[in-house]
Amino acid sequence: MPKLNPTVLLVIMIGIGFQTAFVKSITMNLIVAGVTLLYLLLAGVKWRYLGVMFAISLPLAFATWVSFIAFGTGNTTHLAWVYATRLYAYLFLGGALTLTVAVKDLLFSLHRHAHLSSTFTYGLLAAFNLLPRVRRQVKTIQYAASLRGVTYHLWSPHLYFKAVLSALQWSDDLALAMTSHGFSEGFPRTDTINDPLPKWQWLVAVLLIAAYAVGAWVIQPR
Amino acid sequence: MQTVQEHKRGWALRDVIFLAIIAIFFGVIYQVWGASYYALAAIPALKPFANDMTIGVWLMAGPLAGVLLRKVGATLIGEVLAAVVEMLLFSSWGAATLLYGFVQGISSELGFTLTGYKNWDKIGLTLSVITSTLITFAWDLFNSGYLAYKPGLLITLFIIRLISVGFFAGILVYLIKVLVEKSGLLKR
Amino acid sequence: MTTLAVKNFSFAYDTGQRNILNNISFSPVAGSFNLLIGPSGSGKSTLLKAMAGLMPKFGGIVTGGQILLDGQDIQPVAPFERAKRVAMLFQNPDRQFAMRTAPEQIAFALENIQLPAEQIQDRVADVMTRLNLTAFAEQDLMTLSGGEKQRVALATILAMDSDIILLDEPFANVDPQARQTLLHDLQALQQTQGKTIVISDHDLSGYAELVDNLYVLEATTGTLQSASLTRLTNLAPVVPFTGHPNPAGDLGWRQLHVSVGERTLLTGTTFTVPSQQIGLISGSNGIGKSTLFKALTKQIAATGTITWAEQDARKIKAKAWAKRVALIFQTATDQFVTMTVAEELALSQRQTAYPDFWTAERVADAVAQLNLTGVMDHIVYQLSGGQQKKLQTLVMLIMGQPVLLLDEPLAGLDQDSVQAVMTLLQSTVHATQQAILMISHQRQGLADFIDYELVFAEQQLRLVGGATHA
Ligand SMILES: Nc1ncnc2c1ncn2[C@@H]1O[C@H](COP(=O)(O)OP(=O)(O)OP(=O)(O)O)[C@@H](O)[C@H]1O
Ligand SMILES: Nc1ncnc2c1ncn2[C@@H]1O[C@H](COP(=O)(O)OP(=O)(O)OP(=O)(O)O)[C@@H](O)[C@H]1O
Ligand SMILES: [Mg+2]
Ligand SMILES: [Mg+2]
Repeated sequence: MPKLNPTVLLVIMIGIGFQTAFVKSITMNLIVAGVTLLYLLLAGVKWRYLGVMFAISLPLAFATWVSFIAFGTGNTTHLAWVYATRLYAYLFLGGALTLTVAVKDLLFSLHRHAHLSSTFTYGLLAAFNLLPRVRRQVKTIQYAASLRGVTYHLWSPHLYFKAVLSALQWSDDLALAMTSHGFSEGFPRTDTINDPLPKWQWLVAVLLIAAYAVGAWVIQPR
Repeated sequence: MQTVQEHKRGWALRDVIFLAIIAIFFGVIYQVWGASYYALAAIPALKPFANDMTIGVWLMAGPLAGVLLRKVGATLIGEVLAAVVEMLLFSSWGAATLLYGFVQGISSELGFTLTGYKNWDKIGLTLSVITSTLITFAWDLFNSGYLAYKPGLLITLFIIRLISVGFFAGILVYLIKVLVEKSGLLKR
Repeated sequence: MTTLAVKNFSFAYDTGQRNILNNISFSPVAGSFNLLIGPSGSGKSTLLKAMAGLMPKFGGIVTGGQILLDGQDIQPVAPFERAKRVAMLFQNPDRQFAMRTAPEQIAFALENIQLPAEQIQDRVADVMTRLNLTAFAEQDLMTLSGGEKQRVALATILAMDSDIILLDEPFANVDPQARQTLLHDLQALQQTQGKTIVISDHDLSGYAELVDNLYVLEATTGTLQSASLTRLTNLAPVVPFTGHPNPAGDLGWRQLHVSVGERTLLTGTTFTVPSQQIGLISGSNGIGKSTLFKALTKQIAATGTITWAEQDARKIKAKAWAKRVALIFQTATDQFVTMTVAEELALSQRQTAYPDFWTAERVADAVAQLNLTGVMDHIVYQLSGGQQKKLQTLVMLIMGQPVLLLDEPLAGLDQDSVQAVMTLLQSTVHATQQAILMISHQRQGLADFIDYELVFAEQQLRLVGGATHA
């Protein structure tokens, strides 16, 4: 199966995801979850991984379900099922993008097809490449405090302050280095991005979003 | 040799990277918080309260980006980016994370818009707390099924939410901003 | 040939503050190799950044004179035009890259300077080969060692074919071996391709054969003077440290095995860190020194046994462990938890394990010894790199954990500061019986202070000149 272009995937995700927020239909939620799950499997995402995703979200789905039964008014059973299934519709809809497309490919695709500026494309990419370092830094910040007999809680301003300082220093260094490597804001660059987007994929996007709209607003299944 | 014209006050490379790194920090810290949220939310009786008690945390990245960068759109972009990172790192909310990020970003940004983007201090933050509490609550009324809750519960939830947003996205953000200003490193 | 000329240039970081650089004139001769030295905080980085056209865009104000690139004011020249002529390599190898791998990074720079697409791949392959980087083509830049990262940065500059190469303390985090290799690479560039090289460094070793001109930046006046090359030849020889560790100490490990991901860094070593002594751990970049310290401070998991006075470390909680074994980070600012120098010191004094030893007088003496008296009410984040490093070591020394693990405490310090820090460490551990183990690539001037040396190589720690103790 040919893979969908990242920009097209994003458009589909937003187009359907936005409508889903307003639709109270168990059937539609199950269709979205089912179709995206199928796409994920066809795209080669491992069964086991999807199973874990499903399991992790299960307590949340269950609690959501119970909270409507317990605190709700009106047709509580129906609502409870709507919100529990919606969780999975969103979960796999998000996964269809995040599990099949690398951040770099998404940014390049948006640069190519959605006018994301070079500054944003490469700035965001450079920052995302720091993700493992950010993870370590959060631990380092907490450890440094404990060495001085100080404990940071998640509500301590100092915890966030230290994070902001790292962000300031890192962004200064990175911007300096990128500029000295010739990156010029507002000037053209050689374009070597190869990200084909055949016209039929736009058609797929339009059809899917329209089909959802018809299903949700015209047919209105339960 | 080509030269650069002194450019308009747009988004400079270093601001973009700064904003993104802040967002990534929040994405990572949100994950740490996520654990306590799950613990609360997985207890069915507490689920609705867990949402409103912790929502302030999820609303911090935007206003913080706003008061640090003082730019139109910084709040919105900061919040959306943090949501993107959260989604990438894995969130049980999947695509909804992005949607919530967008709604939260717009509603926090609105507070600063009301000051004409002139006040990035206590007034701007207070307004931002108010707009974001109101709008996110309205959103949840219509889109997360809060309308189905009994009125007494709704009032309780609203008050809890106001306190949570006021503390995290208001007071805590303000304290962080004061520290950053004092450090003298924010010369932009 | 590109020319770069600094003309009566003066620069300050803030209006009303003194000029960091004062009326500097400096025009490197095309194809020459120039070394720039000066104490910590004298403005070397500032001058080099200005010469690369990055100042005042990234801070500060020009208070006089100008810098000319091919006769034109450099500052408004578009970055891609500058990069084709002047390129810069930074001190911190960790944050120079926008992309994930070396070929991507080099290609990124080439796209920036608008090299036609069909030439990019060839140019990338060419510099990768020339700097022996082909083995790293697929590897994540973040997982390369410091020396390897600097080679990638150099390859990027080489690919852009800039005539003038500015290097700001490029070896501060690089081991002696890699340093020699890089210096050799630079020399080859200068001699075979006629590149002009300007480099700043604290460590003068290895330059005698290479340098055409030596310049000194005076800290007090902010002026630049040319100096005699004899300063590069009269260096004290660097000797291995052959002392012996005491047998007794609290922190020890048996059959310790450390790995990151798939890769094993250390297998089955046994050692006890002796009290009252200062030990040195040396070893090439990326061998696993910092990772070993992370294992010993329980920030990452390791197999084998770490012990505290014969008790298994696993039985001791993280918080209690942080009271026994402390890590002094490579990045100084990570250590700070308050705002001003005085607050940092006060916090440590409140929490110290040796309140009787660290009296107000003794703290004041130490502050004076480290030349920090004048900055007591300064914000820690606004100190110079050298001052931050010294303050960091002092506040952790005052905390008084029985075992201190120092990761590169001397990087970027001038010789006077190195002596002051080492003297303070030595007199303190003699009085308090603390144990110190430090990682340092820099060895100059340490002969009187290091009690024993462990060499980290081939997944083992070996005691220099010793029996099979380690
Ligand atoms: N962004 C900045 N804002 C204000 N002051 C600064 C800034 N950067 C550096 N300084 C100050 O300018 C002076 C010169 O700093 P610079 O980094 O150029 O020194 P250096 O010679 O490179 O020192 P080192 O050997 O420690 O790297 C120092 O006193 C430093 O505190
Ligand atoms: N989180 C990680 N994931 C993968 N590899 C890692 C990670 N952390 C460190 N490494 C790798 O482990 C090796 C040891 O790194 P470490 O920082 O301990 O080296 P070092 O001896 O301190 O080097 P240097 O002298 O450059 O500081 C390096 O090759 C490094 O790239
Ligand atoms: Mg410097
Ligand atoms: Mg190290």
